[in-house]
Amino acid sequence: MYRYDVIDKEFVADRTAEFREQVTRRLAGEITEDQFKPIRLLNGLYLQLHAYMLRVAIPYGSLNSAKLRKLAYIARVYDKGYGHFTTRTNLQLHWIKLKDAPEILEHLAEVEMHAIQTSGNTIRNVTADPYAGATADELDDPRVWAEAIRQWSTLHPEFAFLPRKFKIAVTAAAKDRAATRVYDIGLALRRGRGGELGFEVMVGGGLGRTPYLGPTIREFLPTRHLLSYLQAIIRVYNRHGRRDNIWKARIKVLVASLGAEEFGRQVEAEWEKSDKAEVDLPDTELARIRGWFRPGFAKLAPRSEAFEAAKAADPAFARWTRHNVHPHKQPGYAIVDVSLKVPGQTPGDMSWEQMEVAADLAERFSLDDIRVTYQQNLLLPHVRLDDLPAVHKALAEAGLATPNMELISDIIACPGLDYCALANARAIPIAQQIATRFADDERAEAVGELKIKISGCINACGHHHVGHIGILGVDKKGEEFYQLTLGGSGEEDAALGQMLGPALPADKVAEAVEQMVEVYMRERRDGERFLDTFRRTGVAPFKEAVYADAH
Amino acid sequence: MKALTGNRLDDGEAVFWKDGRWVARFVDATIFDDEDRATEAEAKAKSQLTVVVDPYLIDLIESEGLWAPLSYRERVRALGPTNHPQHGKQALGGEDIAALQHAHGAARSTGRVALIKRK
Repeated sequence: MYRYDVIDKEFVADRTAEFREQVTRRLAGEITEDQFKPIRLLNGLYLQLHAYMLRVAIPYGSLNSAKLRKLAYIARVYDKGYGHFTTRTNLQLHWIKLKDAPEILEHLAEVEMHAIQTSGNTIRNVTADPYAGATADELDDPRVWAEAIRQWSTLHPEFAFLPRKFKIAVTAAAKDRAATRVYDIGLALRRGRGGELGFEVMVGGGLGRTPYLGPTIREFLPTRHLLSYLQAIIRVYNRHGRRDNIWKARIKVLVASLGAEEFGRQVEAEWEKSDKAEVDLPDTELARIRGWFRPGFAKLAPRSEAFEAAKAADPAFARWTRHNVHPHKQPGYAIVDVSLKVPGQTPGDMSWEQMEVAADLAERFSLDDIRVTYQQNLLLPHVRLDDLPAVHKALAEAGLATPNMELISDIIACPGLDYCALANARAIPIAQQIATRFADDERAEAVGELKIKISGCINACGHHHVGHIGILGVDKKGEEFYQLTLGGSGEEDAALGQMLGPALPADKVAEAVEQMVEVYMRERRDGERFLDTFRRTGVAPFKEAVYADAH
Repeated sequence: MKALTGNRLDDGEAVFWKDGRWVARFVDATIFDDEDRATEAEAKAKSQLTVVVDPYLIDLIESEGLWAPLSYRERVRALGPTNHPQHGKQALGGEDIAALQHAHGAARSTGRVALIKRK
C-alpha cells in the first residue's frame, strides 16, 4: 500500500483546512457560487439532483481495512449508509451536505485518502489491473508504476489546467483488466527482445461522444523513462488541445486529427529535447515504492484438501469458485471476487455494513489488501485456498457472494438519472430488470461470459461502447429511450460496439436482451462466447430478433 | 403553469419556491399561472446567494388533480432515486407523492438544458 510522507500529510491537511474556510465563506455569502464551484470541484464535490456528491479517489483501486472502514464510517455518518463504486475505481457518496464536506475530508486524510483531482481538467486518479501483485500472468507489479504516476501527477503545476480531464491506466499482463485501450493514455508492460521491461504506450483512447480505441504510439518504452515520456505526451496535448471547444478538447480528438504517427512524432521530438533525468525516477526511489507492494506470502502447498472437500460437498460453493475465484501466482493462494451485483440491486452499491465485512475479511484473510475493479466489484487478492470456505460463508452472509463474475448479471451501470445532473435517462433500473431476468444461477452460467454496460448519457461513464451489449440512455423529447450496441470490448481484443437499430423504450430493453441471448444460444458454436458469436454472425440475426415486431 | 426550483446551498436538497421562501415538498410550491410573476420570482431567487444554488423555472402538467413537473428529471428531483424508494422525498408517501409518481408528462428538463449551456 502507498504511504503518505510528511509533505503529503501536511499538504492534504492544509488543503482540507483551506476548503473548510472556503465552505464557511461560501455559506456566509462572502463568495458566489460561480467563484466557489471550481473550488469545490477541485475537492471532488459535485452538486447533483438530490444532494452534493463526493467522489473519493481510490488510487489504482487499492484499499486496506483501515481505508475501507473509514469509507464505511463516512457512509454511515454522513450519507445514507452506502456508497457507489464507479468504473474509475472511485467511491461516490451521493447524499453529502456541503457543510459536512470539510469534516469528511479530514476523516479521509486520517487514512491517507482525499478527493483531490477527482474532477476538473487535471490528471485524474490513475487506475491499474486489480489483479496486481497476485496474478501469474503479469510481468511486473503495475502498482509500482501506477504509484509513481500518482506521485508525479498529484498537484503537478504544469498539468493543473489541461484542455480537458486526463486519465491513465496501467496493466502489466497480456489480459487487459484495466481497459487500457479506452484511456487517454494506456500503458501495457511488455518484455523487450533483450529481456528488458518496457511499456507499450497507447494514446488517445476514450469513450464519450466520440469514442476511440487508443492507437499505440510507441511499441516499447523502457520503464525507467516512463515519467519523462508521459510528460512529453501531456506537453504536446497541453500545447495543441482544443481548449475552445469542450466536445473536441480531449486528447483523443487531437490524436485523431493529427494522426497517431504525427502525434507520436511530436511526442518523440518533445521527449528528445527534455531533460529526462530531471523527471524520471531514480532506481532508489522506484525500489522504495516497490517495497510497499511486497506482501508476506506463506509457503503453502499448491493443493488444499479443505478447499477440495468443500467444493465436492457444496454445489453453491463450487459454483462460486468457478466464477469468483481465480488462480494466484503464489501456490496455495487465490484471488477472490467480491460481487456487488446482486440481481435486482444497484450495481456497484455497497452498504456500510458490507464495507465493514469486506474490511474484516481483507484484514483476516487477504494480507490486509482489497481492490476495487472498474467492473464495479471488489476483490480480495491474496486468500489462502484453505480459507476459501470461510471467506465464502462470510461473503454470502453479507450478500457479497453472488457467483456471477463476467456473467450476464455482472452489469456495469452508471448512476444515471436517478442521481446524476448530466444524465438523460436512468441506467440502474435497466440493469436491475436485466439482472432479475437472469437471476437464476444455472441460467446465467449456461449463457456464459456476457458483459453488459449501461450509461445514462453520452458521457459513457458506464462504458457502453465497449460492452458485449452496450446500452445508452437517450432523451427523446423528455422520455427515456435506450440505444443498443453489440460487439464492444474493453479488453485486449478491444472493439467499439456496433449499433443494433432504433432506440427502444425503457420497458423493451430487458426483453430485447433476452431475445438476443436466445439468438446467441441458438447460433453459438463450441465454446463461443456471446462476443465470438456476434463477431462471426454480425448484427443481422440479433437485429432481426429484436425488431421482428416492427416488420 | 410553472414552479421555481433549485438546490439548497448547505445540503444540496432539491427545494421549491413558496412565496419567497423554500420548501422541500413539491406539493407546497407556489404554482405560477402568470409568466411575469414567475420570472420576477426567479430573479428574486437568484439574488438569494446564501440560500439556493442555480434556481430555475420548470413547466408543470396536471396529474391526479394535482400539479407535477412535466419533465421526468424534475420528477426524479421531486421524489428521489427510483432505485432506493426509501431515500429522498418519496419516502414521506402521501397523495402528492403518488401523483408525482403517476405523472406521465415528457419534455426536456429546463434544468439540464441550462446546465449544459453553462458547461
